[in-house]
Amino acid sequence: MSAVNFKKEQIKKISLSAMGFVFLLYVYFSFFLGPLNRSRNAMTAAMNDKQTKLNSSKDEMSKATTLEHQAKSATTRFAALKALNSEGAPIAWFPPRIKVFFANEQIDKAVARLENSTAFKEAELAGWMKYNWLIDIPQADYSVLGKAIADLENAEPLLSITKVTIRAQTEPGQFQAVDLVATNFIQRK
Amino acid sequence: MALHLNLLHEEILQQRQRQRDPLKIGVMVLIALGGVLFVYYMFNAYRTLEIKTKLSAVEREWAKVEPQVTAAQKRSAELTEIIKTTRVLDDYIENRFFWAPFLQKVSRCVAPNTQLTSVEGKVLDDNKGVTVSIEGVAAGREPRAAAEDLRQMLVEQLAQSYREVKIEFKGLEDLDTIVNVGGSNMAMAHYTLTVTFNPGAPTKPTAAQATERTPRR
Repeated sequence: MSAVNFKKEQIKKISLSAMGFVFLLYVYFSFFLGPLNRSRNAMTAAMNDKQTKLNSSKDEMSKATTLEHQAKSATTRFAALKALNSEGAPIAWFPPRIKVFFANEQIDKAVARLENSTAFKEAELAGWMKYNWLIDIPQADYSVLGKAIADLENAEPLLSITKVTIRAQTEPGQFQAVDLVATNFIQRK
Repeated sequence: MALHLNLLHEEILQQRQRQRDPLKIGVMVLIALGGVLFVYYMFNAYRTLEIKTKLSAVEREWAKVEPQVTAAQKRSAELTEIIKTTRVLDDYIENRFFWAPFLQKVSRCVAPNTQLTSVEGKVLDDNKGVTVSIEGVAAGREPRAAAEDLRQMLVEQLAQSYREVKIEFKGLEDLDTIVNVGGSNMAMAHYTLTVTFNPGAPTKPTAAQATERTPRR
């Protein structure tokens, strides 16, 4: 019982010591250990993040290498398709090309006019445009025309004829007037 | 037993009181606790420094690898896009409708006593089918029969290559004009045929269908 019976002065001193203890703990955890732990946790998180990136980067690079091998035929094919279209504005090179093509097929005076051009809705063809051309052939023999159309369809894989109009001419009787509507895929420049 | 006299009783009491001074004990406890906390702090600081060193090493390594990874990711995305685009373009190329074979088939069906004056064909949107309007004249003792022969010939020829071939007369009228074919005068009829078909290859008949078509003896 005598140990519990503190004097007033002693109680003050015990209180002072307790306050000092609390203050020490507060300062220690708030200004020393707390910031240190926070900094360490942040560094650990950053290190884990970087380590994960490093690990995935190896996979990423090996995947890219594998993809490069797998996509060899696709890239070659894509380059070939791209090479089908000339440089510059399509309106500048497509009509002369068609004129020359039909002239080589013994069909003169073929005229190609741009009807319209539209973008694709498909995300895969975001870099491509669809050009609709009206090809007017005032005079052609049916069999020659058929062969020319076959050659055109084979020579221009990105071109498809969507509409054909063949009308017999009254003079001279053996010839036909032909209108073709063709759609061509051309890469945006 | 010898008698001990404590003449320093008060001094000893004061000394004991000083030793039991709560403030002094508290300060000593605080110093001891402070020491423990300092050691613990140093331990943590050492661990933090260790992690910092590791982080620096990882960051150096990442800085070396990052440009390669970025380039690889960019190339992968580019290649994926090329593959997808090429696939879509190939689909488009393979699903095009070729007019030349169609025109060839039409030309094979035209007999000397029939003539085409107009052919208008159109590929429907999204390759849903092809519609063709064929206009012409047929001559013969029965010019309507000649036009019907042309229609049947077209059905037969086109069904070999296309699906869902449907050919109907949109119009068939006798003309007053008489024409000379092979030295004999013949009557003429004007016809308009509507042709619709699906460009896909025709489906082969199943065994059941083939059996159904076998003529009865």
